Amino acid sequence: MTNKNFFEIENVDFYVGGKAKVKDVSFKIENEGDIICLLGPSGIGKTTILRTIAGLEKIDKGSITLNGRIISSNEINIEPEDRNISLAFQDNSLFPHYTVEKNILLGAERNKEKKDKKISLKQIVDLLDIFHILNKYPHQISAGEAQRASLARSLITQPDLLLLDEPLSNVDQSFKEEIQVRLKKILNQLKITTIIVTHDSYEAFYLGTKCGIILDQQLKQFDDPYKVYHFPNSVEVVNFLNRGILIPAKVTGKNTLENWDLGTIEGNFIKEYPTGSNVQLLLQPEDLEHDDTSNLKLEVVDRKFRGTNFIYTLKTPSNTFIPVFVHSHHIHQHEVDEKFGIKRPIHIDHIVCF
Amino acid sequence: MSKNLNVWFFLSLIISLFVLIPIITVFSSFFDDTSNYYVILKETFLIEYIINSSILLFFVLLLTFLLGTGTAYLVSFYNFPLSNFFKWALILSFAVPPYIYAYSLTAFFENYGTAYSILKSLFGDNNYNQNIPKFDGMFGAILSITFSLYAYVYILARASFLYQSQNLIELGKNLGFTKFKSFYKIILPASRPAIVAGLSLVAMETLAEFGAVDFFSINTLTTGIYNSWIAFDDLAFANRLSFFLLIFIFALFIIENFSRKNAKYHFNSKGGFKQKEKFQLTGSNSFFAFIFCFFVFFMSFLFPLSQMLYWTIKFPENFFDLQIFDLLMNTIYLVVLSSFILIIFSLVSNYGNRVSNNKILNIFSTLSISGYAIPGVILAIAFISFIAWFDESVVKSLGLYSIKKIFIGSILGLVMVYFIRFYSLAFNGIKSGYEKINISVDESSYLLGYSKRKTFMNIHVPFLRNSLLFIAILISLEIIRELPITLILRPFNFETFATTAYISASEDLLEAAAVPSLFLILIAASFIIITSKYILRDNDK
Repeated sequence: MTNKNFFEIENVDFYVGGKAKVKDVSFKIENEGDIICLLGPSGIGKTTILRTIAGLEKIDKGSITLNGRIISSNEINIEPEDRNISLAFQDNSLFPHYTVEKNILLGAERNKEKKDKKISLKQIVDLLDIFHILNKYPHQISAGEAQRASLARSLITQPDLLLLDEPLSNVDQSFKEEIQVRLKKILNQLKITTIIVTHDSYEAFYLGTKCGIILDQQLKQFDDPYKVYHFPNSVEVVNFLNRGILIPAKVTGKNTLENWDLGTIEGNFIKEYPTGSNVQLLLQPEDLEHDDTSNLKLEVVDRKFRGTNFIYTLKTPSNTFIPVFVHSHHIHQHEVDEKFGIKRPIHIDHIVCF
Repeated sequence: MSKNLNVWFFLSLIISLFVLIPIITVFSSFFDDTSNYYVILKETFLIEYIINSSILLFFVLLLTFLLGTGTAYLVSFYNFPLSNFFKWALILSFAVPPYIYAYSLTAFFENYGTAYSILKSLFGDNNYNQNIPKFDGMFGAILSITFSLYAYVYILARASFLYQSQNLIELGKNLGFTKFKSFYKIILPASRPAIVAGLSLVAMETLAEFGAVDFFSINTLTTGIYNSWIAFDDLAFANRLSFFLLIFIFALFIIENFSRKNAKYHFNSKGGFKQKEKFQLTGSNSFFAFIFCFFVFFMSFLFPLSQMLYWTIKFPENFFDLQIFDLLMNTIYLVVLSSFILIIFSLVSNYGNRVSNNKILNIFSTLSISGYAIPGVILAIAFISFIAWFDESVVKSLGLYSIKKIFIGSILGLVMVYFIRFYSLAFNGIKSGYEKINISVDESSYLLGYSKRKTFMNIHVPFLRNSLLFIAILISLEIIRELPITLILRPFNFETFATTAYISASEDLLEAAAVPSLFLILIAASFIIITSKYILRDNDK
């Protein structure tokens, strides 16, 4: 593609049942083979976006372009069967009267003339580990297996654009990460451009080349996963990702802030603020370091064991509750009501303020 | 976002509108002029029609309730000798239409009838006739209709009993209720919607019944409609009577629909519902349960079957006089043609509703399935009225040849009215099959590159194959038993088992009615046995 984006949504309102779910959405996928993840709470309209891109819902504003061709606009609506877009539904949408194998092979009938990127049934079956269910009917398999079978059917069509709606939500946690790795590998290998809807931020950050956060009927942020995580662009995104808390602070210099409870905080501002301005500082659990020798001590009000680490919730003198990660191998475990030392001076790599 | 008004939408709309023709005709001709017959009838027989219809309805409902819920209760909750056999044998009564039951009843109890012959062979010559009860007139009609239709109540009540929560029944035990108290305090109220739905079907069929009431010379609204057309050639008055009857039936139809919605609750709530363990009856309880079920089974099926078999053997010449092969061919011809057309059009209509998701179409479709509630006599006469009107008002005014002969007294017209009558059976059957296909299955199909037509042919039709076969058998069963539409609209010299039996009986040749009746019962019974699993809803377990 020269000077053109592979896929683009421009100023589209997404509707379901006559009601707008997400408004005025614009984003683009520049390169074929990119993977985009859309994150957002349940019922926010993520699935509606996928259904609309697939052609199952119409739009009356803006446009959706794939491969240089408008597929949806106020005037144009290419039928779903003519878009070469594949959508794997969250719920079981396998054909109930066909075996899993037949279901997948029905997908293979599409684009069978595509010689350049060929994936065989065997490869798909191995990839998703579904050999044992090939001869079974959809009602005989588990929800997770049905989801993998549905994913296999979508993958084998080798569409121009693959849409995955919570593709691994029913897959066992123990198997999920392995499937994620395999899925990413095959999508990259086949260069299948993919949009994945998920509510699992780790899944989105791992799979996506770009992530979109949908909140309050809007696409709030669309950026690299690293930037979405470290540089959230709004308070709403911070709250949604649940990555920390906002505490009041005063900018005291080019690289410093002052908080009533924590004292001086150093670091690199990602955005400039005039000295003396009052801001809300994003404090993430990994920003503070534990130090038993420190004279900055806060009260432990809760401790959660999370396998590789503990999350301590500390109370400041001004009644703010701050989360702090500590490696679980740390020998000295603090009980509730004990004092917990914070290393000073506090240094934060990227200072995010609002 | 509005959905496409595609070709499927228009096809579905046309089918629904076609099915609505008789209702529109009946309602629109309400204000037409009628002959003097109307005045005469209004002052003489109209009240009698209404009273007779009401008496018939009341007693049939009472008896079908007692027989239907009684047998359903026993086979659902208890084990006793042959209880598993009775479970499906009790639906065989569907194979005996009320008019054939009426012939059997009369044949057995009439002067010098079968009862007389049995007594004579057992005890020698005597004047038994005065001691043999006569089941004719209103009483005969009530019995005939009851034994033929009670299975509607039996099937729906049994299905509801089967899906009642074990907890509900255990709750009764926990409260210290006796079995009988548990039945009328817990089980019966919980099954009320299903039983009302069954009774509503019985009510609609009773009001629509023509053969049996005509045979016993009971003047009801249905026979009144037939007579005002056949004897007085007054189509307008036939339509006016139909209007009254339709109002009556629509009230029942609404009740039935309302109840069915609630009844569905019992059938679909599988989660947490498990089949109850049956109680083992012993001693006299077991004996009485067996006797009751056997009595109902005997009276509803074995009795008419034996009577017809007895006469067929006793008067073998009737067997050879009858063109059995021709009758069989005619019946198969009608059954195959009608079932095929009904299924094709109902499939199209269902798919149109599914892909269009249009409110107007939904309304027309809902109205169009009311055809099953409308008596065959009304449908046939309304169809003739419509063709006559269309011929006069449209065809002739365009200077074209009359089309009456194409539609009246022809296979085409007959199949069209069968279509209207049994459309709801096919439409609803396919609809319940479609309800098992999630809409995302369709969407997946589109996204795999299948068009709407390919989705219909490659995904839906194979999925619905078993349902379609079942529906085809049910339609066949109905067409084999159907009498008034066939009687009114069949071509000259074209007979079925049902019309042959009716004609022989109306000429007082009951012995001759036995052979076609026997064939009808046997064919219908074999269809019932094939589909008994579906009819009893045992596949839902």
